[in-house]
Amino acid sequence: MTKFFLFLAFSFTSILSFSQTAEEIVATYIKNIGGSDKLKSITSVQMKASVDYGGMSIPIDMVSLRDGRSVMKITFQGQEMVQMAYDGKTAWGTSFMTMKPEKNDAEETENIKRSVGDFISPLINYKENGYSIELLPNETMEGVECFKIKLTKKPLMIDGKEVPNIEFYYIDKENFVPIVVETEIPSGEMKGNISQTVYSDYQEVDGVYFPFSMMQRLKDGEGQTIEFEKVVINQKFEDKIFLFPGE
Amino acid sequence: MKKILFSLAVVLCASASYSQVSILKGLELFGDLKARHIGPALMSGRVTDIEGHPTDSKVIYIGTAGGGVWKSQDGGVLFNSIFDGGLQELPQSIGAVCIDPSDPDNTVWVGTGEVWTRNSVSIGAGIFRTSDGGKNWKNMGLEKTERISAVEVHPKDPKTVYVGAMGALWGDSEDRGVYKTTDGGATWTKVLYVNATTGCSEIVMDPTNPNILYAAFWEFRRTAYSFNSGGVNSSLYKSTDGGATWNKIHNGIPKGNLGRIAVTIAPSNPSILYAVIEAEKAEEKGLYRSDDAGATWKHLNSNFELTVRPFYFSRITVDPKNPDIVAKAGLSGSISHDGGKTFKGLGMMHSDIHDIWFDVNDPEKLFAATDGGLYRSLNGGTTMEMIQNLPICMFYHVSVDNQDPYNIYGGLQDNGSWYGPSESPGGIEARDWNSVGYGDGFRVYPHPTNPNIVYSEMQGAEGLWRYDKQIQQVKVIKPFPVQGDPKFRFNWNAAITTSLHAPDRLYIGSQFLHLSNDKGDNWLKISPDLTTNDLSKQQQESSGGLSADNSGAENHCTIFTIAESPLDANMIWVGTDDGNVQLTKDGGKTWTNLTLNVKGLPAKTWCYHIEASVHDINTAYAVFDGHTKNDMTTYVYKTTDAGKTWTSIVTSDIRGFARNLQEDRINSDLLFLGTEFGLFITIDGGKNWLKFTNGVPTVAVHYIEEHPVTNDIILGTHGRGIILIDDISPLRQLTPEVQAKKLHFFKTMPYEMDETSNFGGSSGETQFVGANPSTSAKIIYYLSSRHTFGKMSLDIYDENDKWITSLSPGKQKGINIVEWGFNSMAPTVATGKTIAGGAMFAPRVPAGKYKAVITKGTEKFETIIEVTYPNKSIFTKQERLQQQETVKTMYVMTEELAYMVYQIDEYLAHSEKVMKENSSLKKQALKFNTDLMALKKILVITTGDNYVGAADKELREKIGDLFSTIGSYYGAPSTTQLKSLTMLQTDFAAAKKRFKEIQIAQLAKYLAATEKAGFVSVTMKSFEEFVKKN
Repeated sequence: MTKFFLFLAFSFTSILSFSQTAEEIVATYIKNIGGSDKLKSITSVQMKASVDYGGMSIPIDMVSLRDGRSVMKITFQGQEMVQMAYDGKTAWGTSFMTMKPEKNDAEETENIKRSVGDFISPLINYKENGYSIELLPNETMEGVECFKIKLTKKPLMIDGKEVPNIEFYYIDKENFVPIVVETEIPSGEMKGNISQTVYSDYQEVDGVYFPFSMMQRLKDGEGQTIEFEKVVINQKFEDKIFLFPGE
Repeated sequence: MKKILFSLAVVLCASASYSQVSILKGLELFGDLKARHIGPALMSGRVTDIEGHPTDSKVIYIGTAGGGVWKSQDGGVLFNSIFDGGLQELPQSIGAVCIDPSDPDNTVWVGTGEVWTRNSVSIGAGIFRTSDGGKNWKNMGLEKTERISAVEVHPKDPKTVYVGAMGALWGDSEDRGVYKTTDGGATWTKVLYVNATTGCSEIVMDPTNPNILYAAFWEFRRTAYSFNSGGVNSSLYKSTDGGATWNKIHNGIPKGNLGRIAVTIAPSNPSILYAVIEAEKAEEKGLYRSDDAGATWKHLNSNFELTVRPFYFSRITVDPKNPDIVAKAGLSGSISHDGGKTFKGLGMMHSDIHDIWFDVNDPEKLFAATDGGLYRSLNGGTTMEMIQNLPICMFYHVSVDNQDPYNIYGGLQDNGSWYGPSESPGGIEARDWNSVGYGDGFRVYPHPTNPNIVYSEMQGAEGLWRYDKQIQQVKVIKPFPVQGDPKFRFNWNAAITTSLHAPDRLYIGSQFLHLSNDKGDNWLKISPDLTTNDLSKQQQESSGGLSADNSGAENHCTIFTIAESPLDANMIWVGTDDGNVQLTKDGGKTWTNLTLNVKGLPAKTWCYHIEASVHDINTAYAVFDGHTKNDMTTYVYKTTDAGKTWTSIVTSDIRGFARNLQEDRINSDLLFLGTEFGLFITIDGGKNWLKFTNGVPTVAVHYIEEHPVTNDIILGTHGRGIILIDDISPLRQLTPEVQAKKLHFFKTMPYEMDETSNFGGSSGETQFVGANPSTSAKIIYYLSSRHTFGKMSLDIYDENDKWITSLSPGKQKGINIVEWGFNSMAPTVATGKTIAGGAMFAPRVPAGKYKAVITKGTEKFETIIEVTYPNKSIFTKQERLQQQETVKTMYVMTEELAYMVYQIDEYLAHSEKVMKENSSLKKQALKFNTDLMALKKILVITTGDNYVGAADKELREKIGDLFSTIGSYYGAPSTTQLKSLTMLQTDFAAAKKRFKEIQIAQLAKYLAATEKAGFVSVTMKSFEEFVKKN
C-alpha cells in the first residue's frame, strides 16, 4: 500500500510540476543539490578530472574561488601547465609554443570579470547578480522531458560591442537538475553555432551534488567528455596559484 | 477509500497504456542516431528572400525555398542555419523574413511558404517569431496561409505587424490577404481581402510614416497541368490609416486583367515608388514609377528583364541612399542608375534572381538571391561572387552505387545532375562532386555493375543521357517516336530506373513504359498508354496566363514512378501523375489497372512512388500526393496481394503530404517515409510513426534510399541537399522487449579497422565541407532511462580480460552509440622541458574480440565486439605481427625511459633541497646532482620551446618519433627503421648502465648521509604504479 501512495504522490508531483514557474524550478534545483545556505557557504571548489585525448588520459586540476579567481591546470607528459587562470585582474594561460604565460585579450578578461558571480552555478545567485530567468516551453533532451530555462546574464563584450549573454538550462523534470546547458558561441569563426554542455553522474560531496561527468559539443556534433575523479570543497589555496606570473 | 482506489486504478491503467504506446513512439527512440549533412553547397539552391539589419550591415538573414533561414553575422562570409527546429516543426520553405526595426538584434519574423510559385514549390505553415536572434522560435499563427509574401513591423510599436498572405497556390482559399495584429501576433485581423483566388503578393511600408502601406494583390492558380497568372482582381492598393481602409492606386496603370505586381518604395524618398506590372499588352508590361506616393504612375520600361516570368521574378529594390538606383530581380537581374529609364545587366551569376538587397551603409555592396544560391557584389553588381557555404540544394531524387566508399547520385532544381562520394579525405568538398547532366536535374542512376556508366536526364526528358565517365563520352539515349507512335509525353521529372535483374536494362516512362536492354541504345515500348490520357490536361501551350509559360513543368498524364519487383523481373509496377496504378506480371505483355482498388483515395491523385517489396513478391507500397489538387493529406497504402486490396498505413503521427517510402531490406516492419514536412520512421509496419528530428529539419524529403552494404539511409531533400543517417541497423533490433530492459546492447557486425591515411582536403573555412562517417567501432546500447546520478563508466578489455582503455559512455534514454577508434592507451612519456610530439601515440589493438563493460553503480553490463583487419589490406599477417611486436618493444622502452627520468627528477629535486639547506652535504649532493643532470640531458630535452626555439632531439624524442612512425603504419617496419631502433636500444642501454653506475657509486651513500642529517628520504613509486592508467 505504501508503494501505491508513493505512486500517487509521484503522480501529483508530476501534475503540480506543470504549473511551476521558472523561479520554483530553479529553487527546487538549488534545494536538490544541497540548498542555498549550504551552496552559499562554499568558498572554494577543486575538481580533479581527466580527459581522453586520442588514447592519452590528460589530468586536469581546476580550482575556483567564490571571489571569481580560478585556475585550470593540465598535466601533459608530466608537465603541469596553466591552461586558463584568472587572478581577479588578469586572465591568462600558457602558450603551448613557448610554454610561457600569456595574457588573454582584454575582452576575454572583461567577460570573465562579468561572470565572477557564477561560482558553482549562475543559477544560485542569479538575482543578486542581476540576471533574469524565464521559463520556455518544455523540450526533450537526452531522451527525457526537460524544463527549459532561459538565463540572461550580464552582456558580453564582443568586438567592442555589448551583446546579450544567454544560456538555456534544460532541467530534467524528474530529477530537477540541469542535464544540458546550451549557449550560442559569441565570437570567432564558430560564432552563431550552438554549443552544448551535457551533465551527468551527479554525486554528493559533503552534502552538495556535483556532476562528475561533463561533455562539451556543438549541437548535433560529437563531444569531448571530462570525467571528474574528485571534488573537494572549502579548501584554502595560496594566492600565487592564480596570479599571472609575468609581472 | 474506494474512490481513492478507483482513481488509483485509473491512473495505473492510464499509465500502463501510455507506456505501451510510448514504447514505439518515444522521442528518445533514435538517441544517438544522427543525421549527417553532406550538402553539397557548390551549386547551392534557391534563395527566396534577403533581409539585412537596419543599421549593422554585418547581420544578414536569408530565407530559402526549402532550406529554412540562414544568418550571417560577418557581412555574408559565413552563414548558419537558424531555423532547423529540432523537435519543433519549422517548415523550411520561406516566403519572407522581416527584422523588427525597434529590436533588430533580437526580434525577427519569418513568414513560411515560398512565393516564387514554380511547379515544385513547397508549402509553409504560418508565421514564426524569434526574440533572441534565432535561437528559439514561436509559432505566431496564420497556419493555413500556405505562403507568406511579406511581413512589415511598425518601427515604433513592435506589437503592430502586417502580413501579406499570398495563400494557397493549388486551390481556392480564404486564408489570404493582408493580416494585421496589434497585440504582437496573439490575434490577427484580415484587413484586406479580395477573393479566394487572389492573394497578397507584396506589402511595403512607408519608412517615414508607418500608417502608409502599399499592397499588391495577385490572382493566380496552379494545377498539376497548368498555370495561370492574372485576372481582373490583381490590383495595387494603398492605405494611409494603418490598414483600416484601402484604395486602389491605378492612375496610370494599365486597364484590363493584371498579373503579378512588384512594388517598392525608395527608402531615401518615400514619394518615389516603383512597380513592375504584368499586363495584357506587351507594350504595357514592365516598370512603372510614381513620384507622388502612388497618386499617378508613369510607364518607363518594358525590357525583357523587367517583364520576364513575373510569377518567378517580381522583386524590385531601391538603393537605400539614392532613389534613382533600382535593381530588378529577373532571369539574370538588372540595375538602373537613372531612375528606371534604362537598365544594364548584373554581373555573371546563376540565373533566376528572386531578390536583391543593398548594404544599408555601403550600397555598392549588394546581395542577390538566385536559383543557385546567394551572390555578393562589392562593386554595385558588376561582378558577383557566390557564397560557398549554403548547402541548400534541392534534390528531386537520389540513388547510390556499390563502390567503397559509395557514391550518391541525384538531380537538382535548376542545377543539373551530380554524383559525389559518401566520404572523402578531409570531408566531402565541392571538388568531390561531378557534373553528369545539364538543365534541371532529376533522376540519376549508376549502371548496376559498370561503375563508369551513369544515366541522367533533364526536364521533360529533353535530355536523357548515358555518360561513360572513363572515356568521357556522352550519348543521348532518349526514345523517339517511330511510325505509328503518338507524341511521347514525359513528365518534367520523368521516371527512369535501372533493373535489379538485368544490368544493361533501363526503363523510362512517357505515357508508355519503354524498356531498353542495351543501356538505352534501343527501346521497346512495353505498355499501352498507362495514363488517363485526359486531353483537357494536355493544353500546356496555353499555360501561363498573361505571360505564356510553357516550360514543360506542367506536362501531365505521364508515368511518374516505375518499380520492378526485386523478386521477379516480369513484375513491374507503374504509377502515373494522373492517379493510375498499373501492374504487369508478364514483363509488359498485359497490364492491370489497380487504381480503383485503392479505397479511400480521391480519384486522380498523383501516384508519386511505388515501392515493390524485397520481402514478398505480392507486397508493395504506393505513395500518393494530392497537393497539386490542394489536398495536403498523407496517402500511403500497402498491398500484400499484388494490388487487389490496399490498406492505408497512415496515422495521425505523420505530417505533410508524402512523396517517397523506403522499405528496410532486413526488417519488413521498418519503413522510412519522406513527406513535405520531414522524415518519418515506423518500426512496426506503420502502426506508429515517429518523426526523425536528430538533424533532419522539417524539410521536404523527395526521395529515400537505403544502402545495401552500409545500411545507411540517404535522403534527397528539396532544400537541404543530401542528408545521411549512417547505419540504421539498430532500428531493426528495436522491439518493445529491448526497450523494456534497463540496458540492452545491440548486436553489431564486426568492425573493419580503417587503415587508409591521407592528407585531408583543400577547402578553406568559407566553403561548406560535408562530414565524413565515423570509421570507429561502435558500442551501441539502449538505455530505458537516462543516467543522471552516480558513476557510469565504459571499459574495453581484450579476450583475456586485460584492460585496454576507457571510453565515455552515452547516458541518454534511448539509443546510445559510443565510438572506439581501436586504440589502446598511449604510453607514459618522460617529462622534459618541451612536448615529445612523436610519443603522443596510442597503438592500435590487433584484430580480435573485445569485451565492452558498462558499469552503472553496482551493476555491470557486457557485450562483445569484434574488430577485423580490412579485407582489401596489402599487409600479411606476418608483417602485422612484426609491426605489433616492434611497437610493443618501443612502448616498453618509452615507459622505461619515462620511469628513469621520473627517478632522476625525484633525486634531482631532493639533492637541490639538500644543497640549499645543508652546506656540509652540499658537495656530495652537488656531485650526485651534476651526474644525474648530465645523464638527464641525453635522455630528454631540457631547454628550448615547442616551436622554432626547439632544442635538438634527445633519446625520448628519438624513440617517440620512431615509435609513432612504425605504429601508424600497419605493415612491417623497414630494415632502416629496425636498424635505427637497434641504435636507440644501444643508446638506451648505455643510459641505463650509466644510471646504474651513478646509483651504485653514490645513491646509497647519499641517502644514508641525507637521512642522517634529517632529510626525509626519497619516496619512489614502483614502475607499475608509475605507468598505471586505469
